Formats: sequence, structure tokens, C-alpha cells
Amino acid sequence: MDYPFGKAAFWILILALLSGIGVAALNRSHRVHRPDLVFLTYTSDHANVYAPLIHKFERDHHVTVDLEVVDLAALQERLTAAFQVHAEVPDLVELGVVLMGSATKGPLEDVGFWDLTDKIHTAHLDDQLVSARFAGFSSRGHIFALPHDVHPVMLLYRADLLAKLHIDPSQLTTWDDFTRIGRQVTKDIDGDGIIDRYMINLPDDSHDGLQMLLLQKGISLFDPMGNVSFDTPDAAETLCWYVRQTEGATRISFNAQGQQNLCRCMIDGLCLFYICPDWRSRQFQLDVPSLSGKLALMPLPAWSPGQRRTSTWGATGLAITKACQHKDLAWQLAMSLYYDKNQLGPRFEATNILPPLKAAWTNPAYDQPRTFFSNQPIGRLYANLAPFVPSDYANPYTSIAQAKLRDAYLNTKLYYRDHPNADLMPIALDQLHSAAASIRQIQSRNVLLETAH
Amino acid sequence: MTPLQLTILALIILGLPIAVISARLSRGYYRYLAMIFVAVIMLLPFAWLFCAVIKDKDILNAYTFLPPFRDWSKTTLNLNNFRDLLQPHATMQGPVSFWRYILNSLFLASASTTITLFFSSLSGYALAKFRFPGQRLIMTFMLASMTIPGVVLLAPNFETIYHLGWMDTYKSLLVPGAVSVFGVFLFRQAFLPVPDEIIEAGRIDGCSEFRIYLTLVLPLVRPMIGAFCLIAFLGSWNSFIAPNVFLQSQDKLTLPVILNQYVGEYQQQYGVFLAGTLLAILPPAILFFALQREFISGLTTGAVKQ
Amino acid sequence: MSASAFSHKPHTGRQAASATSRRSFPLTPYLFLTPYFLLTIVFFLYPLFYATILSFYQTNGPTRKVFVGLANFRFILSDPDFHIALRNTLLYTILSVTTQVPVALALALLLNARRDKLKSFFRLAVFAPNLVGSIFVGILFSVLFVPRYGLVNRTLQSLTHHGLLIAWLNEPSLIMPALLLASLWMYVGFNMIYFLAALQSIDASLIEAARIDGATPIKVFWHVTLPSIRPVTTFVVVMGTIGSLQLFELPYAMLRGFGPKNAALTIVGYLYQYAFQSGDLGTGAAVGWILTLLILGASLLQLRFLNRGQS
Repeated sequence: MDYPFGKAAFWILILALLSGIGVAALNRSHRVHRPDLVFLTYTSDHANVYAPLIHKFERDHHVTVDLEVVDLAALQERLTAAFQVHAEVPDLVELGVVLMGSATKGPLEDVGFWDLTDKIHTAHLDDQLVSARFAGFSSRGHIFALPHDVHPVMLLYRADLLAKLHIDPSQLTTWDDFTRIGRQVTKDIDGDGIIDRYMINLPDDSHDGLQMLLLQKGISLFDPMGNVSFDTPDAAETLCWYVRQTEGATRISFNAQGQQNLCRCMIDGLCLFYICPDWRSRQFQLDVPSLSGKLALMPLPAWSPGQRRTSTWGATGLAITKACQHKDLAWQLAMSLYYDKNQLGPRFEATNILPPLKAAWTNPAYDQPRTFFSNQPIGRLYANLAPFVPSDYANPYTSIAQAKLRDAYLNTKLYYRDHPNADLMPIALDQLHSAAASIRQIQSRNVLLETAH
Repeated sequence: MTPLQLTILALIILGLPIAVISARLSRGYYRYLAMIFVAVIMLLPFAWLFCAVIKDKDILNAYTFLPPFRDWSKTTLNLNNFRDLLQPHATMQGPVSFWRYILNSLFLASASTTITLFFSSLSGYALAKFRFPGQRLIMTFMLASMTIPGVVLLAPNFETIYHLGWMDTYKSLLVPGAVSVFGVFLFRQAFLPVPDEIIEAGRIDGCSEFRIYLTLVLPLVRPMIGAFCLIAFLGSWNSFIAPNVFLQSQDKLTLPVILNQYVGEYQQQYGVFLAGTLLAILPPAILFFALQREFISGLTTGAVKQ
Repeated sequence: MSASAFSHKPHTGRQAASATSRRSFPLTPYLFLTPYFLLTIVFFLYPLFYATILSFYQTNGPTRKVFVGLANFRFILSDPDFHIALRNTLLYTILSVTTQVPVALALALLLNARRDKLKSFFRLAVFAPNLVGSIFVGILFSVLFVPRYGLVNRTLQSLTHHGLLIAWLNEPSLIMPALLLASLWMYVGFNMIYFLAALQSIDASLIEAARIDGATPIKVFWHVTLPSIRPVTTFVVVMGTIGSLQLFELPYAMLRGFGPKNAALTIVGYLYQYAFQSGDLGTGAAVGWILTLLILGASLLQLRFLNRGQS
């Protein structure tokens, strides 16, 4: 056979035709009319849980609902562009605090999401839910999304190894105790110059760890009115502590970077502790079945005796867009997905994620001892801490603030590396001040708010 | 000294006695040694990838490559990653299996290659074999347009795609990329040396201008077609940002988009991600192996000869 | 864009073309270019125009648009983060182009030698990274560069007894080297192919003649090979520069963000951050314009410099 344009072009053309036929044949006849509701979420974990419930909802209400999974970055790009160009937006969106922040940058009437404040009030949801969880989805006192979770934080630890080392986790009630024991535990066991055991895994390549520990003290990056609020001596103290635990001779922590290394590090016993939010505990169950029965959870040590023993890491919320044509239907769907008490028991067993609906925690599923976690009833453990979970306020500049906070940490750490004996406090405070100043400068550029008045 | 250091040193020293026998032989030896060294470095991440996908996730990071032979068993080495990857997922469009994403990607890459090939070569032909007012301006404009990064145009293009009703269709990806400026220039370079007599002869025979292009001239730049096919296929196969923004239904997504979801912020399944990456490499690898010679000679005629 | 490198040189083809065209139908070339024109207007000129307008506004949501004049540009040019992005991008561009070009040429020379049974295998080996998209490469290297468990660190440890604990992606000073390594691995194969194509098109008799004249291999390389592949070198340098100045996906996937102290923040990354993460499309568009001018300037400068001395 003769190929006038070469074999490659010929075969690619054939491939295009064949695969085109395949794609066309497999394409289910998509709904001609727009479904009554379009619902976007960013993780297939959620979608898998919701899919059967949505099918039931469709049957019960005789409506059509489309559920789509969109990567978080793509969701952000799409919503930003869609709000901008009057394009069609979904009716319901599951989103995180960063996206909520950027959506609330302008005057309140410009927010693309439906203001749920009154609706929540009339439904008495503010009493039934953990109130701190509204913080991530509020702006200037108005609530724009329903909280999906509580995400309290505990310490995950290798119970078997602690027992061997004769460390009693119940004695580790303050971070001072924890650090003291940590110094003894962290060492180079085989003498090859490389440390073989650390007390804890701390993520010092991101803002996560430090932000979480600041929140434990009640320090959020922004206050509810949107002012930068992390440049205080109290925050600087935490920053110094964090630097000392992650750098130099005083360090008690290792940063595994990424889930799969973290798992390795827990299996190897390289780290004994890990700061673990509810959602992450499930990851361990999935990823390291070999550690079943060897892990357990305890509350975070307090900054000083009697203080808060938990914090929070991450948040998801469900927003209804202003453009939604069937807001009441959307609200009903949201209620049935998020706050149906009967659903939330089995869902906790499947996800380990604590829902904010307090009434749900009475379900026996929360008292179920878990073999994987040394027979602890982890639902009860997380639920006991839920009332103390701090508020983490949404803000348009959250992601910038997170980056600046990390830079402040890094600069302090580099200084400590060169001056291990110096007093870190003035440096840390100075770094926080300059980080806060640069965020305030960026905030002051926002002319959108002024024009609204 | 570590065993690795010893091996490298030994290999280098081995060349010296060969030099005594024949200088030429030892030159060849070192050349091969250098090539093998380069190949090892380039392929090491792939070797790691191959090993990683067959390791159970429990031991993914326990060993650099594979566990020692005595530890080989079903619990350490298995195909669970592939099993998880190929398992159909429930979506609103019904269960969708990984093969569907491969099919989607194959279709998009091959269709966009075919379309781009046709339109780019047509434009390249016009610029190479005709002289007309505005020609220089068009060429300068094309060059300048390559300096504008695509992200700048992403948001306005979103609006256009939306108003055309092309959201969630393959049109949104195939049409805007139908002419590649890079391709136009490659083909222009390739068409320049084609003798004008051929075109003249075609005209005398009464062929239409389009026929002359398609049946007389285009077959003469076959190597460039091969080279461009590979470049275009790779570009489309690996493109991420546009499909991630423009496609919505789960059953329409492409490989890069779906694989990226395995390493999201809240769930990281590296084993599955790597298994998918391995499968995703295969089609372009086959294409490259089949096209190597055309690829290089295509670029030879296109980019170099003047 | 190869033409960008070569349009300064007169070539035989053009004169012939002019002879043909005078007698041909003047409409044909426009007709053939119509698809290009249409697509350019809809998907390039219009959005470009739109982006230009936007760069003078601060926007939010569908209704709010405030004219701010040059404020976006003024802010960007005074923003320390933009200075970091600019510095990173320029540094990356210079370092990656100056390492890519010699390494790619060296590899091409190594693989060009006569008949080898293994040649096609080696070619595939060097080209293989190009089969993997930059998102994959980014994620892959984020795993390879991990302290203690990563391939890079383990290899370093077994070679030198050091380096197991290097936190490549967590030390601001090590991010650029890591990025350069990953991009060298990824792109060197493609550039090598360009050089290989150029080497194979050199007239063998030229080299033979020089050899007979008694020129050493180094002299042959310097006086015959290098001048003959000059157009391709120009091409690789210009294309490499344009690509490097637009760097975004690789570092973004590798670091899942911009790295500590923004060490992996590039200009396009900065644009992305403003346009999509904070929804400020106006500032994003302004960054786009600054970048475009930068790329245009760099390309023109390079073409002028590299084509100098060519008749």
C-alpha cells in the first residue's frame, strides 16, 4: 500500500476515526434540557457518597440533578471566569475557605453566592451546628455556605512504640512536656550521623502546621472583620517554638513531605507522633493497613495547663449560587446531603469525618471501637473535642497570608540556623510584623469596597 | 567507598588497557560508556516508576527500587495499583472506567493532530509558495503572537467558548487549536525548497490550487508530516490546563486531568497515579518508536535546509 | 518560528516563489489562510483586546468593574513578590538555556556517530522524558526529590555518603537547582533531536575536505560543524527562551504551589495567582502584558545578536 502522506499521518487519521466512532457511540445521550440543579464538588470521595442520595432525591422530588467532580484548581478557575463573564454557574458548589475568601472580595451584594444567614437562622441551624464552623464561610457577619465538617485535630501516635519507650501519652498534657520528652526520644540510634527517631512529624514546608498551632491558641490569620491578626507577641512565641522544633540541635521533628512518605515514616517508627485531623485518620486506615492496632489518638497537648487541646485543619462548605433558579430545592438538597441525622452515622464509619450537626454524634457509630486505632472509639474522641474547635475566618487574602506566614517562619528559621544561641523573639515578632504589613498593603489596593459605600 | 563508586571507577579504568591494544577501540569504549551513563540517568526515573507501580503501597517507599528477592510475595509485589486504576468509578454519567479516559485522550490527540496538520500545512503552503500583499505582516504577526502566554487569554476565551455553547464539548479544545503557528512555520520551511516547476506543471494540467497543494506538494514533505504528527500528538496528549477548565462531565475527561485528581490535596494515591502515568506514556512511546527516523529527517528538511 | 531565526537570510526559495505568484490567482493564498484568520480573530485578537481593556480595571464578579488607570501596572512593578517572580524567571531562563544548549549539542554529537545498532535505543532513552507531560514530570519529581526516601537523595547517598536528608523542595536556595535538573531531564531530548537533525544535514564532503587538509577534530567542530548548525542553535535558543519565560506548570506541579519564600514563583505563576486564585483578572492581564513585552524584547535581542556576523 502507498501512503501519500506517510504512514504516521495515515495511522493517526485511522485512529482519529476509530476513536471518534468509539467516543460517539459511548456518549450517552446527554440531557437536552439543563437539569434542575447542577452540583459541583471537588473530590470523588464526596461524589461517591452523594451519588445514591442524589438519585433518591431526584426520585422523591421528581427533579433532575447533575453531580460533577471538578479538580479544586479547575473549580477555582472556572468559577472566577464564570462570575466574570456572566457565564452559567452551577447551582450548588462544594468549596474550601480559600475559594470562599476570593469570592467575598468585593461588596457584599457582589458575592456570587446566596446569603444564607437568615435561612440558617430561621432553620435554627446556628444552634444545632458547631458555631465555629461558620467562620470559614462568613464575610462581615454574613454566611455564604453550609459547613460540611468539623475537622478537629488530634495527635496520632504509635501506641506500641510508646509503650516500649515507657512513655505514657496521658502525661503529655502540655507542649512543654511534649517537647521535653521529645528531646530525649529524638536521636541517632545506630550512630551513623543520621537521626533515626523523631518525636513528631511537622509539615514545615507549608503553612499548615504553624497555622494549626496558632489556631490552637485562638490566633486566626484574620479577624472576623478582615483585619490581619497574627502579628502579636503570642504568635511570635509559637513561631519561635516551631522554629526550634524543626531546625538545629533542638529539633524533635521530621518533615516527611507528602502522604506516602508520611506513611513510611510512621511504619518505620521514624516519627512517633503526627498531628492528625479527622479526615486524615481515614487516609492512614487506607494507606497503612499493616499498622492496624498499633496506632492511637490523643488530644493535642495544651499551650498551658487547662487550655484548648485541639485545633482544626481544613474546611469544606456547600454554597448555593445567586444565579440558582430553584433556591429552595437547592436548600432541601443541601439539608438532605449534609444534615440528615440518619445518614451521618454510616457516613462517619465510611469517612471518619465528623459532621458539624451535634445531634448526629449520638449515633452508636461514633462510639464504635476501631480495631485500627487500638480499639479506641475515635468518633467519640473527635466529637469530645469538637466544641473547642477554634474559628478560622475566611478572607480574600488567605492564600497570600499563608504564604507570608510561611516566609516569616523560614526567615526566622534561617536566622536561627546561623545564630543558634540568639534570642529569637525579637526576630520572630519583626518577621510577623513585616508579613502583616505587606498583606495590609495588598488589602489597601482593593478599591472595590470603597466604591460600594 | 560505596559499591556504586567502585563500579563506576572500575568501568573507567577498564578502558585504559584497551587503549594499549587500539586507540580507536578505546575511543569507542568510552563513547559507549558515556552513552550508557546518559541512558541510565535518563531512564532511572522510569525504572523507579516501573518498580513503584508493582510494589504494594505499604512498601512503596521502603526500597528505592524493588525489595530483596527473598521478600518477593503477593503482599509486596502485586498489580493492586492497576486494579484500583482500572476499576470503573460511579459517576453521574454512569460507571466510567479508565479505558474511557484513554479512549478520550486518544481521540482528542489524534483528531487534533489530524486537524492541525491539515490547516497548519495549508497556511504554511500559502506563505511559502505565494507572494501577496500583507505576507510579511502576517508572518511578523504570527511570530509576535507566539510570545503571548496562553494563560493570559484563558479567562476571555472561557467567555467565548461559553457563548458559543461549546463548554463540555471537544470542540472547545479542537477548534481553537486547529492552526498551530509553530506548525505553520515548520511547514513553510519545509515547502520552501519544493521546486516551483511541480506547481506550474499542476496548473498546466488544470489542477485546482487546492489539489496541487494536497496531491502534488504535500506528499513531498512527508518527513515533516511525520515530525509534526509527533509534536502535535505529544502537545495534545499532555495538555492539561484547557481540558481541566473546559471539560465538565466525568466521562469526557482526559488522562492528565483524571490522573491529577489522584494526587489532590485531600487524597493522595501515588501508586495509582504512577500506574496511570505508566499507561499514559505508552501511546506516545509507540508513536515515537515508529516515527523516529521520519521525525529527525523531517526536522532536518524543515528547520535546517534553506 | 524557525522562520524567525532565518528570515534575515535570503534563500533561494523566495525568489522562485515570487516568480510563481505573479501569474497565480491572487485570492488563493488568502483563501488558504482563512481558517487561520478566523481562529486568530475569535480566539486570539478578541481575547487579547479584552485582556488589554481589563488591565486598566479592577474587577470582581459579573457587575463590579472600576477603572483604575495604570494602578495595576504601578502595583505590579512595585510589588516585591513580582520582583521575586521576575528574578526567578530570568534566572531560570538564563541558566536553563545555557545548560540545555551545550548538553543537548554534546548528546547529539555523541549519538550522531556513524552506524550504531543501539542508536535508536539511546535516542529513545534521551527523548523518553518528552513523552511525559509537564504535570506528570512535576509530580514525579516531587516524589523523587523527597528527603530520606526520594530516588535523587538515595542515589546521592550511595554515591557520596551525603545528601540523604537534603530537603530540595523545602530550602529556598535548592529549589532552583532542583527545577533546573528536572527541566534539563525533561527537555534536553527534544533539543538534542533538533541538533541531531542539524548535524545530519551537514554536507559530509565539507568535513571530509577539512580532514584531508589535516584539521584536528576540534578544529573541524569549531570551523565546520558549529557554523553549519548555527541556524538551529539560534532556533533552539530562541524557542528555549520563549518557553522558559512562560514557565509555570512544572514548578507548580512539583511544589503544589510556589515554594518557600516564593522560590518557585514565576511570572506566569504570579499571573495565575492573581487572575485565578484571587479573582483579580485585571492585575492578571496587566502581568500578561508585562511578560509579553519581556518575551518580545528578549527574542528580538537574541535574534539580532545571534544573527550578527551572518551575511
